[in-house]
Amino acid sequence: MNKFSYVIKNTFVNMKRSPLLVFATIIAILVSSFLVFTTLSARTIVENNTLRWQNGTHVVIFLDDRVTTTAHKQLQTSIENYPEVRTVEYFTKSEAADEFKLLFKDQPELLSQVNYEILPSSLRVNLNDPSDYEFIIERTQGNPAVKEIRTSGEAIDRLLGLTDTLVVTATAFAILIGFAAFILIINTMRLTAYSKLKEIKIMRLLGASATYIRLPFLIEAVIESLIGTSIAVGLGWGVIEYTKNSIISEGIFDINISDSYLINLTLLMIIFSFVFGMVASFIGIRRALND
Amino acid sequence: MIKLDNVSLVFEGGSVALSNITTSVNEGEFVYLIGHSGSGKSSLLKLLYKDFAPTKGDIDVAGIDVVKLPKWKIPILRRKIGIVTQEPQLLDTRNAFENIAFALEVMGTPTDEVESKTNTLIDLVELNENAFKFPSQLSGGEQTRVSIARALANNPLILLCDEPTGNLDPDLSIQIVSLLEKINRAGTTVVMATHDSSIVNRRKKRVIELSQGKLKRDEDEGSYLRI
Repeated sequence: MNKFSYVIKNTFVNMKRSPLLVFATIIAILVSSFLVFTTLSARTIVENNTLRWQNGTHVVIFLDDRVTTTAHKQLQTSIENYPEVRTVEYFTKSEAADEFKLLFKDQPELLSQVNYEILPSSLRVNLNDPSDYEFIIERTQGNPAVKEIRTSGEAIDRLLGLTDTLVVTATAFAILIGFAAFILIINTMRLTAYSKLKEIKIMRLLGASATYIRLPFLIEAVIESLIGTSIAVGLGWGVIEYTKNSIISEGIFDINISDSYLINLTLLMIIFSFVFGMVASFIGIRRALND
Repeated sequence: MIKLDNVSLVFEGGSVALSNITTSVNEGEFVYLIGHSGSGKSSLLKLLYKDFAPTKGDIDVAGIDVVKLPKWKIPILRRKIGIVTQEPQLLDTRNAFENIAFALEVMGTPTDEVESKTNTLIDLVELNENAFKFPSQLSGGEQTRVSIARALANNPLILLCDEPTGNLDPDLSIQIVSLLEKINRAGTTVVMATHDSSIVNRRKKRVIELSQGKLKRDEDEGSYLRI
């Protein structure tokens, strides 16, 4: 029990000796962990949203009004026969006009200037697998009844591509800041260890094990790492909760992320920060212990 | 208690610190390890608590095969040995009492026993009046006493002293040796490296002399110089 109290006492003595370094380390870990937590959460939110869209319209084929409606109907029938297709809905010019009015009801100036005659009729295609949109493009492109093809798949791909870029960028920053935190912990531990070199030497002569000598340093690094990560995760949860109730989630983008995912991510990050602190302090005091 | 069999120590670069040393020290003995500076006294002591590893030979200390002892088991060996270095190596921010208590804390002495055990050690080394002085306020001899008390914190079987009187005047040196003899009479085996001829000649104990890393002589009730 006394050995344990010695270790705990020394841990806090070490931390009190260099408060600025401890603070800097915690901040670096906080920023790094926050970036990791929010980017991973954002990626999941985007994935959840794209999943939600899977039940909507995946391909919109705008029809050329210069060809006959019979040609439009023939195209609809042939698309309905594709095995990838679940349903095909014919959208008339007047329905397109109604949809346009609904979408832009808040912009009366725009509505007053639009010539609704130019809005084409269209086929709204729902696929069994949204990623098959390219097959529909391949088979219908060049058909005289087709004026233009738009797919939600492209939008999803673009969104995922953008998200991937954001994730890669944010992860790169997180790694960079995480590395800085790692170096800071190593440096803090090394400075503390060198300031206690005589104490360490005496402990070794007295027969204290290397593990016992290391413990105050390991605990200090783990405490700093856990504090930084805990605050970051707390902030991350706060940001997600705030965003859920913000204007972003009132549009087409739903801040949809499960609590179980966030809990798992939190636990994973806590475990990682624990290991992170241990490894950094181990490296930091290795040389001092070998002197 | 201590056995060395054909032990040699050669440093990187080829410098020979010890060459084919074979000797032993029995339980409860008091042995002076003498020789000029650079004769290998400190190196021999460091081999005993595995601060150095021998180039060849076998070493047994308190029943432990020191040569084969893995690094992670060195603390087990050191808990059987008390080590007093020439420089007392005291913690400047702690007073004499706290320096001794520190050793007891490190050894895992229960909190409620630390104070009484520290007081016992302070009595033993006769530091009662200076117990709460910091190292900078203590004389060289008093610092050495603190260092000896700290080395005794774990009730060692063997006390290894590397020139503990090296920085002390003759009177203080005699006091320290008297203290070590008192500890020896209580049953602790003492090996003291010294080049202080006056002490060795006066106390008439066993003497092991090293010269240029070789065992020059081993005499009961020896002296520093052959008469």
